[in-house]
Amino acid sequence: MAERRLAQRQGELIDRSQEVSFQWEGREVTGYAGDTIASALYAAGTRVFSRSFKYHRPRGLMCCSGQCPNCLVEVDGQPTVRACMTPVEQGMDVKHLNAWPSLQRDFLHLVGRLTPSFGMQVGFYYKTFIHPRRAWPLYEKILRNAAGLGKLDPEHRRTERFDKVHRHVDVLVIGGGEAGLEAAAEAAEQGRHVALVEEGLALGGQLAWGGPRSNGRLTALIERVNAAGVEILQPAYAGGVYEGLLVPVFQGRTMHRFRPAELVIATGSIEQPLVFGNNDLPGVMLASGARRLVNQFRLMPWEQAVVLTSSDEGLAAALDLADGGVNVLAVADSRRGADGSAIEDAGIEYLAGFQPWQAKGSKAVTGVVVTRDGEHRTLACDLLVMSGGSVGQTALVSQGGGGIRYDRDQRRYVPDSLPDGMRVVGAAAGSAAAAGAVPAQAPKTGCKQVVCFCEDVTTKDIALSLDEGFSSLELSKRYTTVTMGPCQGRMCHRNSGLVIADQLGLDPDSQRVGVTTSRPPHNPTSFSLLAARGYEPVKRTSTHHWHAEHGGKMLWAGDWKRPYDYGDGDSEVDAVHESLGLIDVSTLGKLIVRGPDAAAFLERLYPNRFGDMKLARVRYGIVCGDDGSIIDDGTVARLSEQEYYVTTTSSGAGGMEQWFTWWNAVWKMDCEIVNVTSTIAAFNLAGPNARTALSTLTDFDLSNEAFPYLGAGHAQIAGVPCLVLRIGFVGELGYELHLPAAAGEHLWEKLMEAGEPHAVKPFGLEPQRVLRLEKMHIIVGQDTNAESNPLEAGMPWIVKLDKESDWIGRYAIEWYKRRGNRLTLVGWEAQNGGVPIEGTQVVGADGQPAGRITSSRFSRRLGKAIGIAWLPVEQSEEGTAIRISDPKGSTIPATVTHKAFYDPDGERLRS
Amino acid sequence: MIGLLKKHRYFRDHDLKSSYDVVIIGAGAHGLATAYYLAKRHGIKKIAVLDRSYMGAGASGRNTTIIRSNYLTPEGARFYEASVKLYESLSQDLNFNMLFSQHGHLTLAHSDRSVNTMMERAEVNRLVGVDSRVVYPDEIKDLCPQLDISDHPTFPILAALYHPPGGVIRHDAVVWGYGKEADKMGVEIHQYTDVTGINVENGKVTGVDTNRGTIHCDTVISCVAGWSTLVCDLVGVPLPLTTHILQACVTEPVKPLLDKIIVSGTLHIYISQSDRGEFVMGSEIEPYSGYSNTSTFRFIEDLAMHMIELLPMLGHAKILRQWTGYCDVSPDYSPIMGLTEVEGFIIDAGWGTYGFKASPIVGFTIADLIGTGKTPELIQPFRWARFYENDLVSERGAAAVSH
Ligand SMILES: Cc1cc2nc3c(=O)[nH]c(=O)nc-3n(C[C@H](O)[C@H](O)[C@H](O)COP(=O)(O)OP(=O)(O)OC[C@H]3O[C@@H](n4cnc5c(N)ncnc54)[C@H](O)[C@@H]3O)c2cc1C
Ligand code: FES
Repeated sequence: MAERRLAQRQGELIDRSQEVSFQWEGREVTGYAGDTIASALYAAGTRVFSRSFKYHRPRGLMCCSGQCPNCLVEVDGQPTVRACMTPVEQGMDVKHLNAWPSLQRDFLHLVGRLTPSFGMQVGFYYKTFIHPRRAWPLYEKILRNAAGLGKLDPEHRRTERFDKVHRHVDVLVIGGGEAGLEAAAEAAEQGRHVALVEEGLALGGQLAWGGPRSNGRLTALIERVNAAGVEILQPAYAGGVYEGLLVPVFQGRTMHRFRPAELVIATGSIEQPLVFGNNDLPGVMLASGARRLVNQFRLMPWEQAVVLTSSDEGLAAALDLADGGVNVLAVADSRRGADGSAIEDAGIEYLAGFQPWQAKGSKAVTGVVVTRDGEHRTLACDLLVMSGGSVGQTALVSQGGGGIRYDRDQRRYVPDSLPDGMRVVGAAAGSAAAAGAVPAQAPKTGCKQVVCFCEDVTTKDIALSLDEGFSSLELSKRYTTVTMGPCQGRMCHRNSGLVIADQLGLDPDSQRVGVTTSRPPHNPTSFSLLAARGYEPVKRTSTHHWHAEHGGKMLWAGDWKRPYDYGDGDSEVDAVHESLGLIDVSTLGKLIVRGPDAAAFLERLYPNRFGDMKLARVRYGIVCGDDGSIIDDGTVARLSEQEYYVTTTSSGAGGMEQWFTWWNAVWKMDCEIVNVTSTIAAFNLAGPNARTALSTLTDFDLSNEAFPYLGAGHAQIAGVPCLVLRIGFVGELGYELHLPAAAGEHLWEKLMEAGEPHAVKPFGLEPQRVLRLEKMHIIVGQDTNAESNPLEAGMPWIVKLDKESDWIGRYAIEWYKRRGNRLTLVGWEAQNGGVPIEGTQVVGADGQPAGRITSSRFSRRLGKAIGIAWLPVEQSEEGTAIRISDPKGSTIPATVTHKAFYDPDGERLRS
Repeated sequence: MIGLLKKHRYFRDHDLKSSYDVVIIGAGAHGLATAYYLAKRHGIKKIAVLDRSYMGAGASGRNTTIIRSNYLTPEGARFYEASVKLYESLSQDLNFNMLFSQHGHLTLAHSDRSVNTMMERAEVNRLVGVDSRVVYPDEIKDLCPQLDISDHPTFPILAALYHPPGGVIRHDAVVWGYGKEADKMGVEIHQYTDVTGINVENGKVTGVDTNRGTIHCDTVISCVAGWSTLVCDLVGVPLPLTTHILQACVTEPVKPLLDKIIVSGTLHIYISQSDRGEFVMGSEIEPYSGYSNTSTFRFIEDLAMHMIELLPMLGHAKILRQWTGYCDVSPDYSPIMGLTEVEGFIIDAGWGTYGFKASPIVGFTIADLIGTGKTPELIQPFRWARFYENDLVSERGAAAVSH
């Protein structure tokens, strides 16, 4: 290892005193602390890091800065990790991704080479495997086997802890290069709270990898930043810029959700590859990549390098590499008029006007052919350094809502308009030297000229797509998949645009070429990181723990957890019918409507009447939408002239609060609405012994005369101030108590104590459903859907079309009334033993669905299956025989009934 | 394989003529399918398909390509079933491989209320002849071993609606397949041609104005999905639609592990894995309406959190890209198709989050409507006038998160 490194020098990132060993393809490799996986492997002689996506061509290091896809590896089970950005850690397990049986010998690469004329040409999938149709499943299996880059472990479970932090700073700077550091220091020196994010392993960007000349400047800048108190997150990356300048920053296992007052984009530029034959061979590197290896990791495994360039950046690179100890043989500059004297002064051959033609070699570079005016020159080398100029990294600008335009003079994309609070500095703003480009006419050399490294798209593929009529950047992109790979076009966006524009004879900023939108996230980000420390809020009633401790089977009911039953639902039903039961109904929505217009307000919201209600009374009501459909139901109690207490369904609570407040805002009435759902607990004590039991806890006169059915009153019960409503969803004498949630557990226990002589049982949701079904009470949302209107739902009595005021849904319901009912909601019973499943269908004479079963239960009390169904009016007469479907294919006979199954006249309720 | 050696020119450019028999606005899957069936089945060839952008630029090129027919209403189930049947032979019919990957669709139920809805769908489906049934955790485990069916997740899986014919397809291939065959029969596809006006005289369509000039025609079909209200405004046909954005995202490709489509309404997520190996995922529409198409971070955060609850193996998968598209949502989650009060103006809208799967049957039936002058029975329930007649086809229960 040691002999492959150059002499120690200032600016290197490695700590030569500390060795780190890890596994690569099952072998042990040793590098230094400060190495990346890529640099350590390179030092150990690895040249092929991956196989390309489609053709399985061998790929080596190219950008060494986390942009290109060439060094994607699997680390400790995590696929697609960029080796060049990941520090080595003792014992990590690193493997290749996309090759079989091995990186060196890849089967699919061979296949590709054996079928050169059409194997995997662009559009290959669309044009093949079509006939015969029945063979497609087999073909598909083959395709799926060949697909994908990495592997996921099906048994993987998140075991580490991930976290999420919400951050507010005055200034967030993305990018720790020269411009970013400067901007950060400046802002912090003004006393602002500044955070800076850098994804690389060293601060300084080009100052850090550009060679020793810039070391002094970098040290000074870092000192300044530290002195000014800039908070530095590194290595960490900004995952995107979202609306309102939300910037998620990922560092290790933590997600920082930044909302800065000002955002500074200092993401620098990205050096672009050149397009020529075999430009993806291992040994072809971007100039900035080679300089990183030499300057930061002191690697020089090459004998001879040739630099290919179309801009001054390549000239600077040649000098820097030579200075760092690389033997640079020649520089081929595709420009003719550029000044190459500095190169010649350094003793390097300067070939003006020479374009790259083709790299030589099969698994590694052995030379390069360059050309000028038909003249070819072959140069032997084992490193090919290319520099196609740089483009500003503006992806975050456009994600954040900034505009990007193509600058014809500079031949590159530059930020145009910026959203409030965003600033772009440095190379990202387009201040770097004008970029070179791909050669006007990419040479036709017969070997692959890669434009898109991620997706293996060549100039030939693009040309073919245009010939076939995919004649715009967007269509060609979708057809060839150019720019759609893991680097999101960082390495190919500009070149593909230029190739397409060139072939279509259009300007790069014309409509058919244009700029494609940059889509977040900025870097591929794992689910684990994004999920961070996720949690799902659960609503719990004040007596939640009591239920759980007393055998309550706690299940989700909307946002709440509620007891399904307490282990024996049947006996809970019996207790309510025969003696006494207690249920926690705190999940009901509860609204107070108060003010001079309270009565008028409810008159407009409900189809039935509330203005004429006497004090201390409670009434059932439904709420309809504008279309006349039932959207919620509940009770309304009048507490005083100007105050009503409204309950809604449990799942409807939030929606009803919105509905009420929205209409109040529209009508501007003089009343206010308070949602007290979570501050008020509610219990229903029900059963023939309810009165006797409750009397022991209160002085309130509960006698039928003083407090009849549908009464509402305030009472002290066991010392707790309660609103008592005498209603009966479950069909027996019952009292619904509404009380401060804080006293919930206390009162619940008192009620259980008071009920003890009557063998009181707590009952859950499921017994409640059986009880209400016996009474044929509907559940909105189960027995009704978005199209159920009250006329068809069998509640014409609730609709007061003669009300003076208009009310929501009136127009539609009047229309329904004129039209007449088509469907109707009825009860049914099935004596023959079968219990239909909820959701099954009433089958028409033609065998097709004619109606649906919304509720169904076996009632032990009645000894038969009972339920509710929507039926066509013609089939809904009392006593009509219907057939109910069953998933097994048979049907269950049943009879239509209109009356409640249990206590149809409500005597027990009123007793 | 021979096909690969031939040179093709799938799409040609044309000058815009001053008149056509039929003008179709929108070169998405619907517009192009309609053009194809008009030319193929009814011999109408003087057709211009106009798009303000490139073909497939709308929802057709952005959707998550779920194809299924397990809808809630008999009308819906029959309609989408006819579409699935057309899809099954589409690669052969258009001689273009659409990579239709038909491995089944599972809609999960995490509460007893949704088990009921699944049962209702299964029974409606079974009775109208759609292959679909309710399955319970043991069978779910067999069908999709990757799912966490334990009671460990916050919302354990209680049951699922299993729909074996459900699948995903390559969306662009559908657009291109219809487009190239239409082109071959002489249909002109005009990209970057924006319709800016629709001309009506005496209640009849007479032509359209575009950025490239005016065209005379007496039949205009609007196939613009998310832009429907804007286009219908041009002709004064009111639509009860609101446009919302729907977001989607995709991971880096990994070796295929998941062949079922998984949908969870409770967790607001769905996922499938394409033949390329990418996981394609989405959620429900954003609650606000409008034409802002910015992606939100909330979307991928919430999605990731819920996704690893269902499929813990995804922890290491990486989200590569997220995007948005427009959805034209109707009050009953069913489409609006056919004649309008303006003679010669045909509407195809209200596709919400579920219209891609309908592309073939939309093209087929709208072409029949124009070719025969009669509204096909299959689309009668979806007529525009149903909103005046209060005769809705409520698919809310089957089309909210399951696209
Ligand atoms: C993220 C997402 C996921 C989805 N997932 C699914 C799914 O899994 N399954 C499913 O079945 N459906 C899904 N959908 C819905 C489906 O994509 C759409 O319903 C369907 O693609 C609509 O097709 P279309 O051809 O009618 O419209 P589009 O494809 O939207 O085409 C409309 C075209 O009209 C053009 N246009 C608009 N205005 C004008 C004008 N004035 N002049 C000229 N041209 C104009 C537009 O440029 C556009 O190209 C999804 C949608 C989205 C956004
Ligand atoms: S090189 Fe990465 S997407 Fe093309």
